[in-house]
This record gives sequence, C-alpha cells and structure tokens, in this order.
Amino acid sequence: MRNMGAHGADGTPDQKRNKTMESTTLKPEKEESGLTGVIDKILDKGLVINADITIDVAGVELLGIKIRAALASFETAARYGLEFPSGTNLETAAWREAMIDKEECPQCGKRVDREELVNIGCPWCGWESAKAKKMKEKKVGAKVEVL
Amino acid sequence: MVILRPEATGLKELLNRILDKGVAIDTAVRIDLSGIDLLKTKAHIILSSFKTAAETGLDFPKGTDFDAPGWRDLATMELCPVCGMKSIRVNLEKYGCPWCGWNSRPKEE
Repeated sequence: MRNMGAHGADGTPDQKRNKTMESTTLKPEKEESGLTGVIDKILDKGLVINADITIDVAGVELLGIKIRAALASFETAARYGLEFPSGTNLETAAWREAMIDKEECPQCGKRVDREELVNIGCPWCGWESAKAKKMKEKKVGAKVEVL
Repeated sequence: MVILRPEATGLKELLNRILDKGVAIDTAVRIDLSGIDLLKTKAHIILSSFKTAAETGLDFPKGTDFDAPGWRDLATMELCPVCGMKSIRVNLEKYGCPWCGWNSRPKEE
C-alpha cells in the first residue's frame, strides 16, 4: 500500500499479486486497533456513566446533578432493553434481527447467529468450532451435506 | 491448545480492561476561606461496560427493560478462559468449550 502514489502502476508483479491477494483473503475486521476499533468496542460493550454531583456554596446546596447515562450501539441497547425515544417502531426487521443472539466469527469477524456458528460453522468463511468438528466426526457414516 | 483470540494489545486492550473492571471516581472538594465554608463539591462517578454495570447492580436509566435477552444471558453465559467466546456456563463446565474444545477436566472416558 505504501508508496503506491510514487510508484504508480510499475510495481513489480510480486507486489501486484500481493495486492490482489490482500483484497481476497479473509481478514477479521475486528483486529483494527485504531480509533475505529476503540469506538467499535465501546459501542459493542456499551458504556454506563452514572454520576452524582453536588455543589454547596456557603453551606447552601446550590446544585445537584444526577446522571444515569448509557451509551451503546443500537444492537446492544436493544439487547439490554434500553428505552428508545418515543415514536420508535420496534416492529421493524432490524429489531427482530437484534434480538437474535449473535456472535462474531473468530476467523472472519462476521456476525452470525450463535447457535448456527457453534453447531454448524460460519456460513461466510467456513470456520468450524470444536463442537461442530466433533459432531462431524461422529456422523462420518451418515454425513449430512452442509453448505 | 487452540487460541482463537490472541490477547489484543495497545489502546483497545486497555479500553477493554477499563470497561470490564469499571472506573469509580469519588471526589470531595472543600474550599474554606478564613474558617467559613465557601464551596463544597462532592462527586461520585462510575464508568463501566454494560456487563459489569449489570453484574454490580448499577442503576440503569429509567425505562430499561430488565427482561431483555441481554439480561438473561448475564445469568447463564460464561466466557471460555482460553478463547474468550461466550457459551452456556453449565455446559462449559460439564462438556468443555464448544468453540475451541477447551475442557476444564482432562478426558475421563
């Protein structure tokens, strides 16, 4: 990637191949460690900010602040049942989707239904869990065709 | 041993830990001027992830539905010590981790 502008199209064939390889190999997106990764993490885990602050001036309570704040992605907020602004339609497809228990594929990072991921494998990259492998071994005889 | 999620390093890992452990800030400031209380401030502030907040019983904003799936998971799910993936606690202890195959007890068959 670096010096791409300086070298332009006359990169060696090896470099070119590397470039195409890079775009086709599965890379877990979640390994980003910059600001995107951090924001991703915060939104995914959710952030609770609770604060009680009082300010007295000359023995008189002047100001009291009570904060109960929760910051999270839509999905996390929905999973924890946070209240949404009035008027939000909770019957849309996205909400039903958010209620499905999902997990990130350890290999490609796509979010997949947990049950499917652990019992069958990742439909995106073909990753298989230890349980799926064990189950496959068990029924070698009567093998079920899994996509 | 299968390691699916190697320890992340840097900012993300730092944040991960901070959120998981939670941060409590408790301050009390008093400013006196010639024996008279002029200004007194008190602040109790807590920052944490949803999971930690729920486990430690922090107050959630009004209107939160405590029957949502996320709350149910908290009571039944546990993270695998090797790969860090979530699975049902009882099964994790009994049969091992369905994700990476980790088992708390060596095979006894």
